[in-house]
Amino acid sequence: MNASIIFIILLVLMLTGMPISISLGLTVLSFLFMFTQVPLESVALKLFTGIEKFEIMAIPFFILAGNFLTHGGVARRMIKFATSMVGHWYGGLGLAGVLACALFAAVSGSSPATVVAIGSILMPAMVKAGFPNKFGAGVITTSGALGILIPPSIVMVMYSVATNTSVGALFMAGVIPGIGLAMVLGGVTWYRARKFDYPRMQKATFGERWKAFRESVWGLLLIVVVMGGIYSGMFTPTEAAAMSAVYAFFVAVFVYKDLSMKDVARVLLNSANMSAMLLYIITNAVLFSFIMTNENIPQALADWMLGHGLGMIAFLLAVNIILLLAGNFMEPSSIVLIFAPILFPVAMKLGIDPVHFGILMVVNMEVGMCHPPVGLNLYVASGITKMGITELTVAVWPWLLSMLAFLVVVTYVPILSTWLPKTLGMM
Amino acid sequence: MKLLDHLEEWLITFLMAAATTIIFASVVHRYLSGVSIPGLQDWLLSLNFGWAQELCIIMFVWMAKFGAAYGVRTGIHVGVDVLINRMTGRTRAKFVVFGLLAGALFTGIVGTLGAHFVWENGFHYALYTALGKDLVDIPEGPTTPDLEWPTWIVYSAIPLGSSLMCFRFLQVTVSFIRTGELPHHDHGHVDGIDETTIAEEVNAFQMEDNLHPHDLTYRKRHPEDSSGQGGKQS
Repeated sequence: MNASIIFIILLVLMLTGMPISISLGLTVLSFLFMFTQVPLESVALKLFTGIEKFEIMAIPFFILAGNFLTHGGVARRMIKFATSMVGHWYGGLGLAGVLACALFAAVSGSSPATVVAIGSILMPAMVKAGFPNKFGAGVITTSGALGILIPPSIVMVMYSVATNTSVGALFMAGVIPGIGLAMVLGGVTWYRARKFDYPRMQKATFGERWKAFRESVWGLLLIVVVMGGIYSGMFTPTEAAAMSAVYAFFVAVFVYKDLSMKDVARVLLNSANMSAMLLYIITNAVLFSFIMTNENIPQALADWMLGHGLGMIAFLLAVNIILLLAGNFMEPSSIVLIFAPILFPVAMKLGIDPVHFGILMVVNMEVGMCHPPVGLNLYVASGITKMGITELTVAVWPWLLSMLAFLVVVTYVPILSTWLPKTLGMM
Repeated sequence: MKLLDHLEEWLITFLMAAATTIIFASVVHRYLSGVSIPGLQDWLLSLNFGWAQELCIIMFVWMAKFGAAYGVRTGIHVGVDVLINRMTGRTRAKFVVFGLLAGALFTGIVGTLGAHFVWENGFHYALYTALGKDLVDIPEGPTTPDLEWPTWIVYSAIPLGSSLMCFRFLQVTVSFIRTGELPHHDHGHVDGIDETTIAEEVNAFQMEDNLHPHDLTYRKRHPEDSSGQGGKQS
């Protein structure tokens, strides 16, 4: 009963179009006020203590690092390196785009940021090289989604905040599915390019490759800093995020010299703006999940599902459908923060691995970012290419379908996600 | 007003930069103090960075509260606007105003609750001590574990930030009613592959997508989008 009241209030408030953070907060306030004796003052305190966790602070750091990398010329050099490596195969620049996105994803934690960084340089170049507009848009929109699957990943940090799963283990778990998805997307690109005979680049000589590698090595080293640092235990994930922000700043300003000090202030302000928005959603989502737990809703849901003999396979299918539907209305961080606390206890009772469940959610979020009505990647790509959303939707279909197929594989083959962290002894 | 705007921007920019520097310094300190360089090591060991995490958290919470207020002004907060963006301009405008006022209501309530909390948490004591009044039955507030700052100062981010946010919501509401415009980010053009290109024009989370409501001037800027017309146009 209480559960349905909470959800109806939340749903109605959200659909009026007010910010998600506000609708979460108002739901909690009105529920507490009308149905419980919990003092409202505790809400104010929770708004502060809700984000008083050092793990959460990885989010602003990763956003800052990502912004420095995007503006600081790292993306451009990674594209050059990727082009010199795979540009001569079928798909040429398209394939290079997939590789560049995967490389950039390994230093950035956000999908739309990856699309901005790679797409704004590569998409115009692809059109110039003779690719149809929609081919380039399709490749980059979907490959950009790798940003949240290949570690570091802001969405994974959100999941770990919501469920108390280890961020390090989640990051490691994302590596193999990330490479897998990159290969799937690359395969689709290769196949379609061969079918329609799109232009290829001239094969780069060894010298050119070496030069491209040397130029991009500063960006590539960051992968080692973040992943190596977390794995070896030198840094906690939050410290690794802070280190990568400082490193990215250093590379952008002093090594590549693409960023002036004035730009730095703007990058800081932009990052603070975006982080504050996400942190504000987190605070309110923490409040919301506090209410949920207080009312025992996740437990009740778990019991109901188990009582109806719902097995793991049916549950995972249901989770996928729910998350894909939610992907039509909200952006990934909010979905993870709202749904993870509800679904997680059920998954635990069914014996699903917490890390596997996290990766599954992340891949789901990726799909949601690539289709309308709210796919962020799609809107970013539309901003860059000036193509309409409808046209772009058609353009991404081949890649989106293969992504859905990949989602099914990730859902039902848990070893894909759990093997690496288990082997490394992180879980 | 201009001053307040700038103050807000400076504060969150500074907090972002400072928090990053502090964590960086504490990590560097941790590793350098393990290296035996005569003189330097002793000096490093004498420094204590135990407070770094706590300070970083406090700074980011402050940044989050004031940044959220700044975010109202820049229109970055995401919502579920799929439904209302399909409505016609006038109906949508009503929902937009409702949403903005709801934001003002929530932040207003939280600001008040927060102020009350901070008062009880030691501000009362501190104020009366400062004024030299007698302290009958007023408890001194607690302090934070590492820095040992009074918590009421730390927690005052809630009333201050929320009130500012409430004010920003009201400000945006007024300007929306007057001009029909919401803060939005117009993505300008993005140049091709050229050495000077900086990918900055497209700012994810600040686009006119279905995570943000379209305002009344949206049609003029996006003539290609026929949704929000209550059906197809010929």
